[in-house]
Amino acid sequence: MRILYINNDGGGFADYIDIAENTTVEQFFTIKMSSQNAEDYTIRVNRQPVSRDYILRDGDRITITPTKIEGAVV
Amino acid sequence: MEHDKYLIRIANRIQDTLTKLRNNRYTEILCRLEKLFEKIEELHTESRLMKESIIRGWNSSTEQCCTSLSRVLNEITHSTSQVSQIVDLPQKDAPKLFELVNELAQLMQEFEDVDINLSEGTISVATEPITLEEVYLGPFKIKLNLGMLSKLYSSSAYHVIAIDPHPAATAEEVTHPHVSNEHLCEGDGSAAIRIALEDGRLCDFFTLVKSILNTYSPDSPYVSLSEWEGLACYNCGYLCDSDNCYFCSFCERDYCEECSTCCRECDETVCSGCATRCSICDESICPNCVRTCSECGSYCCKSCMEEDICKDCEESEAQNEQRNEHVTTNTQCTNTNQPDTNSKEANSTTEGEKPVGLEV
Repeated sequence: MRILYINNDGGGFADYIDIAENTTVEQFFTIKMSSQNAEDYTIRVNRQPVSRDYILRDGDRITITPTKIEGAVV
Repeated sequence: MEHDKYLIRIANRIQDTLTKLRNNRYTEILCRLEKLFEKIEELHTESRLMKESIIRGWNSSTEQCCTSLSRVLNEITHSTSQVSQIVDLPQKDAPKLFELVNELAQLMQEFEDVDINLSEGTISVATEPITLEEVYLGPFKIKLNLGMLSKLYSSSAYHVIAIDPHPAATAEEVTHPHVSNEHLCEGDGSAAIRIALEDGRLCDFFTLVKSILNTYSPDSPYVSLSEWEGLACYNCGYLCDSDNCYFCSFCERDYCEECSTCCRECDETVCSGCATRCSICDESICPNCVRTCSECGSYCCKSCMEEDICKDCEESEAQNEQRNEHVTTNTQCTNTNQPDTNSKEANSTTEGEKPVGLEV
Protein backbone atom coordinates (compact mmCIF):
# COMPACT_ATOMS: atom_id res chain seq x y z
CA MET A 1 0.00 0.00 0.00
CA ARG A 2 1.14 3.52 -0.80
CA ILE A 3 1.09 6.59 1.42
CA LEU A 4 2.41 10.15 1.19
CA TYR A 5 5.15 10.62 3.77
CA ILE A 6 6.14 14.17 4.65
CA ASN A 7 9.16 14.40 6.90
CA ASN A 8 9.87 17.90 8.16
CA ASP A 9 12.92 16.79 10.12
CA GLY A 10 16.43 17.65 8.89
CA GLY A 11 16.48 18.20 5.15
CA GLY A 12 12.73 17.78 4.88
CA PHE A 13 11.09 15.87 2.08
CA ALA A 14 7.71 14.70 0.81
CA ASP A 15 7.38 11.47 -1.15
CA TYR A 16 5.07 8.56 -1.82
CA ILE A 17 6.30 5.38 -0.21
CA ASP A 18 5.15 1.78 0.06
CA ILE A 19 4.44 0.32 3.48
CA ALA A 20 3.10 -2.98 4.79
CA GLU A 21 -0.59 -3.43 5.44
CA ASN A 22 -1.83 -2.78 8.97
CA THR A 23 1.13 -0.60 9.91
CA THR A 24 0.26 1.58 12.88
CA VAL A 25 1.51 5.16 13.28
CA GLU A 26 3.73 4.02 16.15
CA GLN A 27 5.31 1.25 14.04
CA PHE A 28 5.77 3.64 11.14
CA PHE A 29 7.52 6.16 13.36
CA THR A 30 9.80 3.47 14.80
CA ILE A 31 10.77 2.32 11.31
CA LYS A 32 11.41 5.77 9.89
CA MET A 33 12.72 7.63 12.91
CA SER A 34 14.29 4.80 14.88
CA SER A 35 16.68 6.90 16.93
CA GLN A 36 14.15 9.62 17.77
CA ASN A 37 11.70 10.14 20.57
CA ALA A 38 8.07 10.35 19.36
CA GLU A 39 7.31 12.97 22.01
CA ASP A 40 9.55 15.44 20.21
CA TYR A 41 7.39 15.30 17.07
CA THR A 42 3.93 16.27 15.96
CA ILE A 43 2.50 13.42 13.91
CA ARG A 44 -0.54 14.04 11.75
CA VAL A 45 -2.39 11.81 9.37
CA ASN A 46 -4.48 13.53 6.72
CA ARG A 47 -3.83 16.82 8.54
CA GLN A 48 -5.36 15.53 11.78
CA PRO A 49 -3.73 14.41 15.01
CA VAL A 50 -4.12 10.65 15.49
CA SER A 51 -3.49 8.12 18.23
CA ARG A 52 -0.36 5.94 18.09
CA ASP A 53 -2.39 2.82 17.28
CA TYR A 54 -4.03 4.37 14.25
CA ILE A 55 -3.63 1.96 11.33
CA LEU A 56 -2.38 3.64 8.19
CA ARG A 57 -4.46 3.19 5.06
CA ASP A 58 -3.71 3.37 1.39
CA GLY A 59 -3.50 7.00 0.21
CA ASP A 60 -2.97 8.43 3.72
CA ARG A 61 -0.84 11.52 4.13
CA ILE A 62 1.41 11.31 7.19
CA THR A 63 3.36 14.35 8.40
CA ILE A 64 6.12 14.21 10.99
CA THR A 65 7.25 17.61 12.26
CA PRO A 66 9.77 18.22 15.05
CA THR A 67 8.57 20.38 17.90
CA LYS A 68 12.10 21.56 18.70
CA ILE A 69 14.40 22.88 15.98
CA GLU A 70 17.63 24.68 16.73
CA GLY A 71 18.00 28.01 15.02
CA ALA A 72 21.43 29.47 14.36
CA VAL A 73 23.32 32.53 13.28
CA VAL A 74 24.39 31.95 9.67
CA MET B 1 -19.65 29.82 1.03
CA GLU B 2 -18.20 33.34 0.95
CA HIS B 3 -15.37 32.11 3.20
CA ASP B 4 -14.61 29.22 0.82
CA LYS B 5 -14.47 31.60 -2.11
CA TYR B 6 -12.06 33.76 -0.20
CA LEU B 7 -9.84 30.77 0.51
CA ILE B 8 -9.93 29.77 -3.16
CA ARG B 9 -8.85 33.27 -4.19
CA ILE B 10 -5.90 33.14 -1.81
CA ALA B 11 -5.04 29.60 -2.89
CA ASN B 12 -5.13 30.77 -6.48
CA ARG B 13 -2.73 33.55 -5.71
CA ILE B 14 -0.34 31.21 -3.91
CA GLN B 15 -0.50 28.80 -6.81
CA ASP B 16 0.39 31.59 -9.29
CA THR B 17 3.35 32.65 -7.17
CA LEU B 18 4.61 29.08 -6.79
CA THR B 19 4.36 28.58 -10.55
CA LYS B 20 6.48 31.72 -10.98
CA LEU B 21 8.93 30.28 -8.44
CA ARG B 22 9.44 27.24 -10.66
CA ASN B 23 10.30 29.52 -13.59
CA ASN B 24 12.48 31.73 -11.40
CA ARG B 25 14.48 28.65 -10.46
CA TYR B 26 16.01 28.61 -13.94
CA THR B 27 16.80 32.33 -13.74
CA GLU B 28 18.40 31.77 -10.36
CA ILE B 29 20.49 28.87 -11.75
CA LEU B 30 21.80 31.21 -14.47
CA CYS B 31 22.48 33.94 -11.92
CA ARG B 32 24.46 31.55 -9.69
CA LEU B 33 26.31 30.18 -12.72
CA GLU B 34 27.32 33.75 -13.64
CA LYS B 35 28.89 34.13 -10.20
CA LEU B 36 30.71 30.83 -10.65
CA PHE B 37 32.06 31.94 -14.06
CA GLU B 38 33.31 35.19 -12.52
CA LYS B 39 35.27 33.17 -9.99
CA ILE B 40 36.67 30.89 -12.69
CA GLU B 41 37.76 33.99 -14.64
CA GLU B 42 39.47 35.22 -11.49
CA LEU B 43 41.24 31.87 -11.26
CA HIS B 44 42.52 32.32 -14.84
CA THR B 45 43.86 35.78 -14.00
CA GLU B 46 45.62 34.52 -10.88
CA SER B 47 47.07 31.63 -12.85
CA ARG B 48 48.50 34.00 -15.51
CA LEU B 49 49.96 36.26 -12.83
CA MET B 50 51.58 33.31 -11.13
CA LYS B 51 53.12 32.08 -14.37
CA GLU B 52 54.56 35.55 -15.01
CA SER B 53 55.95 35.74 -11.47
CA ILE B 54 57.64 32.33 -11.80
CA ILE B 55 59.25 33.29 -15.13
CA ARG B 56 60.59 36.52 -13.68
CA GLY B 57 61.75 34.80 -10.51
CA TRP B 58 59.62 36.99 -8.24
CA ASN B 59 59.33 34.64 -5.30
CA SER B 60 57.39 36.96 -3.04
CA SER B 61 54.87 37.71 -5.78
CA THR B 62 54.52 33.98 -6.55
CA GLU B 63 53.75 33.31 -2.90
CA GLN B 64 51.09 36.04 -2.95
CA CYS B 65 49.56 34.36 -6.00
CA CYS B 66 49.37 31.09 -4.04
CA THR B 67 47.41 32.83 -1.28
CA SER B 68 45.04 34.38 -3.82
CA LEU B 69 44.61 31.05 -5.59
CA SER B 70 43.68 29.37 -2.33
CA ARG B 71 41.01 32.04 -1.67
CA VAL B 72 39.59 31.86 -5.20
CA LEU B 73 39.47 28.05 -5.10
CA ASN B 74 37.49 28.19 -1.85
CA GLU B 75 35.10 30.67 -3.41
CA ILE B 76 34.69 28.40 -6.44
CA THR B 77 33.83 25.48 -4.16
CA HIS B 78 31.22 27.62 -2.43
CA SER B 79 29.77 28.90 -5.72
CA THR B 80 29.67 25.35 -7.13
CA SER B 81 27.74 24.09 -4.11
CA GLN B 82 25.35 27.05 -4.48
CA VAL B 83 24.64 26.04 -8.07
CA SER B 84 24.35 22.32 -7.22
CA GLN B 85 21.91 23.09 -4.43
CA ILE B 86 19.40 24.55 -6.83
CA VAL B 87 20.17 22.42 -9.91
CA ASP B 88 19.67 19.23 -7.91
CA LEU B 89 16.20 20.23 -6.76
CA PRO B 90 13.71 17.74 -8.13
CA GLN B 91 11.36 19.02 -10.78
CA LYS B 92 8.00 19.53 -9.10
CA ASP B 93 4.65 20.79 -10.30
CA ALA B 94 3.02 23.64 -8.48
CA PRO B 95 0.62 22.36 -5.81
CA LYS B 96 -3.00 21.76 -6.80
CA LEU B 97 -5.57 24.37 -5.91
CA PHE B 98 -7.54 22.04 -3.62
CA GLU B 99 -4.34 21.13 -1.74
CA LEU B 100 -3.69 24.79 -1.07
CA VAL B 101 -7.26 25.34 0.06
CA ASN B 102 -6.86 22.39 2.44
CA GLU B 103 -3.62 23.92 3.71
CA LEU B 104 -5.34 27.21 4.46
CA ALA B 105 -8.21 25.42 6.19
CA GLN B 106 -5.73 23.42 8.30
CA LEU B 107 -3.84 26.58 9.13
CA MET B 108 -6.96 28.19 10.54
CA GLN B 109 -7.74 25.05 12.47
CA GLU B 110 -4.29 24.69 13.99
CA PHE B 111 -3.46 28.27 14.85
CA GLU B 112 -5.77 30.48 16.83
CA ASP B 113 -4.64 33.79 15.44
CA VAL B 114 -4.39 33.68 11.63
CA ASP B 115 -4.64 36.85 9.61
CA ILE B 116 -4.99 36.63 5.83
CA ASN B 117 -4.70 39.95 4.07
CA LEU B 118 -5.34 39.52 0.37
CA SER B 119 -4.83 43.18 -0.55
CA GLU B 120 -1.47 43.19 1.22
CA GLY B 121 -0.74 39.67 -0.01
CA THR B 122 0.25 38.35 3.40
CA ILE B 123 -0.64 35.50 5.72
CA SER B 124 0.27 36.05 9.35
CA VAL B 125 0.17 33.70 12.28
CA ALA B 126 0.67 34.82 15.86
CA THR B 127 2.39 32.54 18.33
CA GLU B 128 1.63 32.20 22.01
CA PRO B 129 3.90 34.29 24.27
CA ILE B 130 7.31 32.61 24.23
CA THR B 131 9.50 32.17 27.29
CA LEU B 132 12.88 30.50 26.89
CA GLU B 133 14.96 29.55 29.93
CA GLU B 134 12.85 31.85 32.09
CA VAL B 135 13.42 34.83 29.78
CA TYR B 136 10.11 36.25 28.60
CA LEU B 137 10.28 37.17 24.91
CA GLY B 138 6.58 37.74 24.25
CA PRO B 139 4.41 36.59 21.34
CA PHE B 140 5.61 36.76 17.72
CA LYS B 141 3.90 37.25 14.43
CA ILE B 142 5.15 35.11 11.52
CA LYS B 143 4.29 37.14 8.44
CA LEU B 144 4.51 35.36 5.09
CA ASN B 145 4.63 37.64 2.06
CA LEU B 146 2.96 35.72 -0.77
CA GLY B 147 4.55 37.91 -3.46
CA MET B 148 8.02 37.01 -2.17
CA LEU B 149 7.36 33.28 -2.53
CA SER B 150 8.37 33.53 -6.18
CA LYS B 151 11.81 34.82 -5.09
CA LEU B 152 12.35 32.15 -2.48
CA TYR B 153 15.76 31.14 -3.86
CA SER B 154 17.23 34.61 -3.55
CA SER B 155 15.50 36.17 -0.55
CA SER B 156 13.41 35.39 2.49
CA ALA B 157 9.65 35.32 2.02
CA TYR B 158 8.72 35.95 5.63
CA HIS B 159 9.42 38.07 8.68
CA VAL B 160 9.23 37.30 12.36
CA ILE B 161 7.86 40.31 14.17
CA ALA B 162 7.77 40.66 17.95
CA ILE B 163 4.23 41.68 18.95
CA ASP B 164 5.25 42.72 22.45
CA PRO B 165 9.00 43.19 22.03
CA HIS B 166 11.36 42.27 24.84
CA PRO B 167 14.64 42.70 22.96
CA ALA B 168 18.11 41.99 24.24
CA ALA B 169 19.35 44.85 26.43
CA THR B 170 22.39 45.34 24.24
CA ALA B 171 20.77 44.95 20.80
CA GLU B 172 17.31 46.37 20.17
CA GLU B 173 17.02 44.60 16.81
CA VAL B 174 17.42 41.19 18.46
CA THR B 175 13.94 40.26 19.71
CA HIS B 176 14.66 36.54 20.07
CA PRO B 177 18.02 34.72 20.39
CA HIS B 178 17.57 33.63 16.75
CA VAL B 179 15.78 36.69 15.34
CA SER B 180 17.51 39.88 14.29
CA ASN B 181 15.86 42.68 12.31
CA GLU B 182 12.79 40.45 11.92
CA HIS B 183 14.92 37.84 10.16
CA LEU B 184 14.96 34.32 11.58
CA CYS B 185 18.14 32.31 11.38
CA GLU B 186 16.62 28.97 10.58
CA GLY B 187 19.60 26.77 11.45
CA ASP B 188 18.58 23.10 11.34
CA GLY B 189 15.14 24.02 9.98
CA SER B 190 16.42 25.81 6.90
CA ALA B 191 15.97 23.04 4.30
CA ALA B 192 12.65 21.83 5.70
CA ILE B 193 11.24 25.38 5.66
CA ARG B 194 12.31 25.98 2.06
CA ILE B 195 10.83 22.68 0.87
CA ALA B 196 7.58 23.29 2.76
CA LEU B 197 7.21 26.68 1.07
CA GLU B 198 8.12 25.28 -2.37
CA ASP B 199 5.42 22.64 -1.94
CA GLY B 200 2.88 25.16 -0.68
CA ARG B 201 2.66 23.35 2.67
CA LEU B 202 1.83 26.49 4.57
CA CYS B 203 0.79 24.79 7.75
CA ASP B 204 4.10 22.90 7.92
CA PHE B 205 5.96 26.12 7.23
CA PHE B 206 4.32 28.00 10.12
CA THR B 207 4.72 24.97 12.42
CA LEU B 208 8.43 24.73 11.61
CA VAL B 209 9.05 28.43 12.25
CA LYS B 210 7.10 28.17 15.48
CA SER B 211 9.24 25.17 16.51
CA ILE B 212 12.42 27.19 15.96
CA LEU B 213 11.01 30.09 17.96
CA ASN B 214 10.20 27.71 20.80
CA THR B 215 13.72 26.29 20.88
CA TYR B 216 16.87 27.88 22.19
CA SER B 217 20.18 26.88 20.67
CA PRO B 218 22.85 28.14 23.10
CA ASP B 219 25.67 27.47 20.62
CA SER B 220 24.73 30.10 18.09
CA PRO B 221 22.37 32.84 19.23
CA TYR B 222 22.57 36.50 18.19
CA VAL B 223 22.52 37.29 21.90
CA SER B 224 22.63 34.48 24.43
CA LEU B 225 19.82 34.27 26.98
CA SER B 226 22.32 34.46 29.83
CA GLU B 227 23.20 37.94 28.58
CA TRP B 228 19.70 38.92 27.49
CA GLU B 229 19.30 41.51 30.21
CA GLY B 230 22.88 42.62 29.52
CA LEU B 231 25.84 42.68 31.88
CA ALA B 232 25.71 45.74 34.09
CA CYS B 233 28.97 47.49 34.86
CA TYR B 234 29.52 47.16 38.60
CA ASN B 235 30.78 50.72 38.78
CA CYS B 236 28.47 52.81 36.60
CA GLY B 237 25.65 50.37 35.82
CA TYR B 238 26.06 50.70 32.05
CA LEU B 239 24.68 47.63 30.23
CA CYS B 240 27.15 45.99 27.94
CA ASP B 241 27.41 42.74 26.01
CA SER B 242 30.06 40.13 26.73
CA ASP B 243 32.39 41.45 23.99
CA ASN B 244 32.51 44.86 25.62
CA CYS B 245 32.52 43.76 29.21
CA TYR B 246 35.71 43.35 31.21
CA PHE B 247 36.21 41.14 34.21
CA CYS B 248 38.40 42.37 37.01
CA SER B 249 40.04 39.31 38.54
CA PHE B 250 40.94 41.24 41.69
CA CYS B 251 37.43 42.16 42.81
CA GLU B 252 35.83 39.52 40.53
CA ARG B 253 33.25 41.85 39.00
CA ASP B 254 32.27 42.94 35.49
CA TYR B 255 33.01 46.43 34.26
CA CYS B 256 32.37 48.45 31.12
CA GLU B 257 35.22 49.73 28.95
CA GLU B 258 35.17 53.14 30.60
CA CYS B 259 35.48 51.74 34.10
CA SER B 260 38.26 49.27 33.41
CA THR B 261 41.84 49.60 32.39
CA CYS B 262 44.92 47.56 31.65
CA CYS B 263 47.93 47.16 33.92
CA ARG B 264 50.95 48.72 32.23
CA GLU B 265 53.22 46.03 33.66
CA CYS B 266 51.37 42.74 33.14
CA ASP B 267 48.53 43.76 30.77
CA GLU B 268 45.97 42.28 33.17
CA THR B 269 42.50 43.83 32.99
CA VAL B 270 41.78 45.68 36.17
CA CYS B 271 38.89 47.90 37.21
CA SER B 272 39.51 51.54 37.97
CA GLY B 273 38.77 50.81 41.65
CA CYS B 274 41.44 48.13 42.01
CA ALA B 275 43.95 49.89 39.79
CA THR B 276 46.46 52.34 41.20
CA ARG B 277 47.99 55.25 39.31
CA CYS B 278 51.76 55.34 39.29
CA SER B 279 52.78 58.58 41.00
CA ILE B 280 55.60 59.05 38.48
CA CYS B 281 54.25 58.06 35.05
CA ASP B 282 50.54 58.23 35.91
CA GLU B 283 49.88 54.86 34.22
CA SER B 284 47.50 52.27 35.73
CA ILE B 285 48.94 49.36 37.68
CA CYS B 286 47.22 46.30 39.07
CA PRO B 287 47.55 45.36 42.76
CA ASN B 288 50.10 42.64 41.85
CA CYS B 289 52.45 45.03 40.13
CA VAL B 290 52.15 48.06 42.38
CA ARG B 291 55.29 48.98 44.40
CA THR B 292 55.62 51.30 47.39
CA CYS B 293 58.54 53.67 47.68
CA SER B 294 60.40 53.08 50.93
CA GLU B 295 61.32 56.74 51.08
CA CYS B 296 58.14 58.70 50.38
CA GLY B 297 55.58 55.88 50.54
CA SER B 298 54.10 56.71 47.14
CA TYR B 299 52.76 53.98 44.80
CA CYS B 300 54.72 53.33 41.63
CA CYS B 301 55.01 50.82 38.82
CA LYS B 302 58.11 48.63 38.54
CA SER B 303 59.46 50.72 35.68
CA CYS B 304 59.46 53.85 37.82
CA MET B 305 61.30 52.25 40.72
CA GLU B 306 65.03 51.89 41.36
CA GLU B 307 65.33 49.03 43.80
CA ASP B 308 62.98 50.06 46.59
CA ILE B 309 62.74 53.77 45.98
CA CYS B 310 60.89 55.72 43.34
CA LYS B 311 62.65 57.66 40.63
CA ASP B 312 61.63 60.96 42.24
CA CYS B 313 63.20 60.02 45.56
CA GLU B 314 66.22 58.61 43.84
CA GLU B 315 66.64 61.85 41.93
CA SER B 316 66.26 64.04 45.00
CA GLU B 317 68.62 61.75 46.91
CA ALA B 318 71.16 62.15 44.17
CA GLN B 319 70.63 65.89 44.19
CA ASN B 320 71.04 65.96 47.96
CA GLU B 321 74.23 63.96 47.75
CA GLN B 322 75.52 66.29 45.09
CA ARG B 323 74.54 69.32 47.13
CA ASN B 324 76.17 67.84 50.23
CA GLU B 325 79.33 67.18 48.32
CA HIS B 326 79.24 70.71 47.03
CA VAL B 327 78.64 72.11 50.51
CA THR B 328 81.47 70.01 51.96
CA THR B 329 83.82 71.19 49.27
CA ASN B 330 82.75 74.78 49.74
CA THR B 331 83.13 74.52 53.51
CA GLN B 332 86.58 73.09 53.15
CA CYS B 333 87.45 75.80 50.69
CA THR B 334 86.06 78.49 52.97
CA ASN B 335 88.07 77.15 55.91
CA THR B 336 91.23 77.01 53.84
CA ASN B 337 90.85 80.51 52.52
CA GLN B 338 90.03 82.13 55.86
CA PRO B 339 93.55 83.50 56.76
CA ASP B 340 94.34 84.94 53.36
CA THR B 341 91.82 84.62 50.61
CA ASN B 342 94.23 86.02 48.05
CA SER B 343 97.04 83.67 48.93
CA LYS B 344 98.14 81.70 45.90
CA GLU B 345 99.21 78.80 48.08
CA ALA B 346 95.85 78.62 49.80
CA ASN B 347 93.95 78.56 46.46
CA SER B 348 96.06 75.77 45.15
CA THR B 349 95.43 73.60 48.25
CA THR B 350 93.84 70.37 47.47
CA GLU B 351 92.05 67.87 49.71
CA GLY B 352 94.45 65.83 51.82
CA GLU B 353 97.18 68.39 51.56
CA LYS B 354 98.13 70.25 54.61
CA PRO B 355 97.12 73.86 54.34
CA VAL B 356 100.36 75.85 54.28
CA GLY B 357 98.86 79.01 55.74
CA LEU B 358 97.73 77.21 58.91
CA GLU B 359 101.20 75.94 59.67
CA VAL B 360 102.22 79.30 60.96
